[in-house]
Amino acid sequence: MMTRDQVKQLTEKVLKFSSFPECSVNVNEIEEAFVRFANNGVTTAGFTVDRTVRISSVRDGRTGTTSTTDLTDEALKAAVKRSEELAAVAPPNPERVDPLGLQKYADYENWDDKTANARSPVMTPHVKAIIDAALAKKLVAAGFFTRSAGAGGFANNTGNFGYQRQCDSRLTTTVRNADGSSSGWACQPSVRIGEISGADLGGRAIEKCTRWTKPEKLDPGKYTVVLEPTAVADIGTYLGFSFSARSAEEGRSFLSKKGGGTLVGDKMFPDHITLRSDPFDKRVPTSLWGQGGVPNTPINWVEKGVVKNLFYDRYWAMKAGKQPTAFPGLMTLEGGTGSVNDLIKATDRGLLVTRFWYVRTVNPQTVQLTGLTRDGLFLIEKGEVTRPVINLRFNESPVRMLQNVKLLGRVERAQGAESQMLCPPVQATDFTFSSISDAV
Amino acid sequence: MNLSRRAFVAGSAAAFAAELFAADKNSNKPNPQLEKLADNALREAKRLKASYCDIRIIRYRDQNVGVRLSPERGTGKTLEVPSVNDVESFGFGVRVIVDGAWGFAASPVVTAEEIRRITGEAVTVAKASASIKLKPVVLAPVKAYRDRWTSPFEKNPFDVAVAEKLELLLDSGRQIKKNTQVFGSGGSLSSRSEDKYFASSEGSSIQQLIFQTFGQLQANAVDLASRKSKTRNYDPAPVSAGYEAVQKMNLGENALRIRDEVVEHLKAPPVKPGKYDLILMPSHLGLTIHESIGHSTELDRALGYEANYAGTSFLTTDKLGKFRVGSDLMNVYGDRTTPQGLSTVAYDDDGVKTGKFDIIKKGIFVGYQTIRDQAHLIGDKESRGCCYADSWASVPFQRMPNVSLAPGGNDDTLEGLISGVDNGILIEGRGSYSIDQQRYNFQFGGDAFYEIKGGKRRGMIAQVAYQSRTPDFWQTCDGIAGPSYWQLYGLFRDGKGEPGQVNAISHGCSPTRFRQINVITTD
Repeated sequence: MMTRDQVKQLTEKVLKFSSFPECSVNVNEIEEAFVRFANNGVTTAGFTVDRTVRISSVRDGRTGTTSTTDLTDEALKAAVKRSEELAAVAPPNPERVDPLGLQKYADYENWDDKTANARSPVMTPHVKAIIDAALAKKLVAAGFFTRSAGAGGFANNTGNFGYQRQCDSRLTTTVRNADGSSSGWACQPSVRIGEISGADLGGRAIEKCTRWTKPEKLDPGKYTVVLEPTAVADIGTYLGFSFSARSAEEGRSFLSKKGGGTLVGDKMFPDHITLRSDPFDKRVPTSLWGQGGVPNTPINWVEKGVVKNLFYDRYWAMKAGKQPTAFPGLMTLEGGTGSVNDLIKATDRGLLVTRFWYVRTVNPQTVQLTGLTRDGLFLIEKGEVTRPVINLRFNESPVRMLQNVKLLGRVERAQGAESQMLCPPVQATDFTFSSISDAV
Repeated sequence: MNLSRRAFVAGSAAAFAAELFAADKNSNKPNPQLEKLADNALREAKRLKASYCDIRIIRYRDQNVGVRLSPERGTGKTLEVPSVNDVESFGFGVRVIVDGAWGFAASPVVTAEEIRRITGEAVTVAKASASIKLKPVVLAPVKAYRDRWTSPFEKNPFDVAVAEKLELLLDSGRQIKKNTQVFGSGGSLSSRSEDKYFASSEGSSIQQLIFQTFGQLQANAVDLASRKSKTRNYDPAPVSAGYEAVQKMNLGENALRIRDEVVEHLKAPPVKPGKYDLILMPSHLGLTIHESIGHSTELDRALGYEANYAGTSFLTTDKLGKFRVGSDLMNVYGDRTTPQGLSTVAYDDDGVKTGKFDIIKKGIFVGYQTIRDQAHLIGDKESRGCCYADSWASVPFQRMPNVSLAPGGNDDTLEGLISGVDNGILIEGRGSYSIDQQRYNFQFGGDAFYEIKGGKRRGMIAQVAYQSRTPDFWQTCDGIAGPSYWQLYGLFRDGKGEPGQVNAISHGCSPTRFRQINVITTD
């Protein structure tokens, strides 16, 4: 893994090769080890290394960008030259901003040597634990265990420099019964691979699979839902894109005000809704800066139901006279102290959703999404899970879902197939399901 | 000024890669330097007792040129924002089978020494996996090929000046912005080249060069008073071709069209929910074919290999040769030789020569997409050549060939399809799309929706999405326009696998009619 000194030397070398007034360079190196399994056996496994040096050159407001995977002097010189040639033929960018001066990035790192060095001997026992547990119950396990470790940094010729190391790991499994009529899923992401337990995870997926047997049909319609944290993340992740100040001001966001302006300062959600970003939460990988090198800082987007902040990139911030902010990447929905079971107990009639699948935006303006329940949908009656339910498609907006949240549980790191958040399970009313899916 | 190929390859790795992939005009054999490098992996794997080894050495070049025209904050003056990127990636990946289990490793350092080291890493991985493998890997037999192939192209897209591409896009963007009701416009042109070499311990040595060309234009309109915004895009089919494909896109003409249509879309009334007959144009139907038929007929999904991520399939192996997916009109085939198809190559990443095969014949499911290590699981003697990866750093696995719907008869016309609809909707372009993990229940939007009343196409309507269940939907198909309407559309970011991979695929079809499909009103 490249050290801070190595990244500094490399970026300085690239900047020395530059003949343009502005040059910036990003370096990223990532190493990944993974094991994939299905039908109770390992199907593929691998170890990969990748790295990229990305160079942007600017003159007279004209920008060209290129990248290379070769770190030799000749290749780096050629890459700088290529970016300069591209800049020479590009028209001036009227939204260009001056290069970022020296920034103060947090002296912070969320790193774990065990994660960064883990290979098959560390990972396969957890896979085996899941497979053995599935076999013992005549079930079929599939899944994926991955860990990544990377180092990266950037520098420009106005003196700014940043370096960070990131590592992360994730074990996920789907357990199905032999005839394919039931399915359960569980996922554990962690910066510290030692916290991951194949036995625990396999147990959770097996329990879901076993409980979701012979599901019954329920009519689509509006239901009170208890969304497990992954289900909250699967739709809540889409909110990040909607906090752009530009799209709000330009009338293209749910945060646009009718007739013009934005809804910043408006109380759009109940008191118990606070949505924020915290790059220094120990549960998530290091992320010291956002787009364009803007330092990542904790930001409240919604505080006690009131819209507090929007995302300003450097250009829009300059035009609006605001401080630029990093993009709201991994968001946190603040919660309470209860468990999923506590929310179930507090539900008279509703649906318990394990997770959603194939979530896509239907209308970016209202953040209306569509997608399906997957790997465990259950009916709740009088505070208890009474029976499994056949999967349903939803058409709903996370904005409306948050407006309808009545109860929140304990926050955890949740990662779905295409989502990630720090969020609690929630109970929300009037969640719209539009059709039935036969899929298992 | 142009960024010439010579300038691009000036660096050592790029120069080295250019030398490696250089093609001798007098020979159809791979570059001997590639064969020599690859031999390091094959020999090292043999020394380490691997029963099989292959290596792919690949160089990608991706150039993206784009413009966005939008009003300046405060003044409303139109700003023309360009972007120019030209990036490369060069590396290799090695697969081995040891003790009956796969192992894979990859690196961006393309040297003999690193190839030997990474081969050792792949062997280490395979040995660890062997202890919990399901069954020993069995590979369907394949001939050994020594060949070089280039996807057909007339004009190397990287030889065309970036300034020329920018000018074309700016002209189109300005045309769109001439309508004062248009808020923003833009477009992009992308070119990709893939220099790819494959060698295996079974004697194959295959060098291929593939060009792909993509383009698009977009327009958006906003009504601040009602807090409503709409878009209209022009997405010409992305193709495996050179810059000649851009010249056939008619960007200027289509800019004028979407300029008017985006405003019409903003003002269009919402659809009333209910059952409608649908006529789906190729620019839209390509994605419906992809999601409902393309993915459900992947053998790895049917066998459970994708159960943890993309899902399984309703087309389980017991349905092969029996199950009715659609009406008698429905004939679907996989074809990695379709001219200009994004999945078109001469050989796949298993070293299998590609071809064409039936998937659905007269509505009946008759064939899966297969690769070497799974063909035997359904009793097949050979692979159908559907193995590939999205990078040198990714594991090759079962991916989609070009999956196309055969056209109707010569006398079947679009006008004929429309005239047979009393109350329907014609849908163009891609919108929101979502389908369940066994490919039953889906919901698709579109980019533009036209009302059909009394057999006539009328004005635009809005907020349309249709929902159905794959076999129910395809069994309502009662009309497919003829061969002269058949068009190839494509996707270039289809996701599958863990770690996730994204690949490009084409889908050909003619305008097609479906009866009494459930339509909902979206936000």
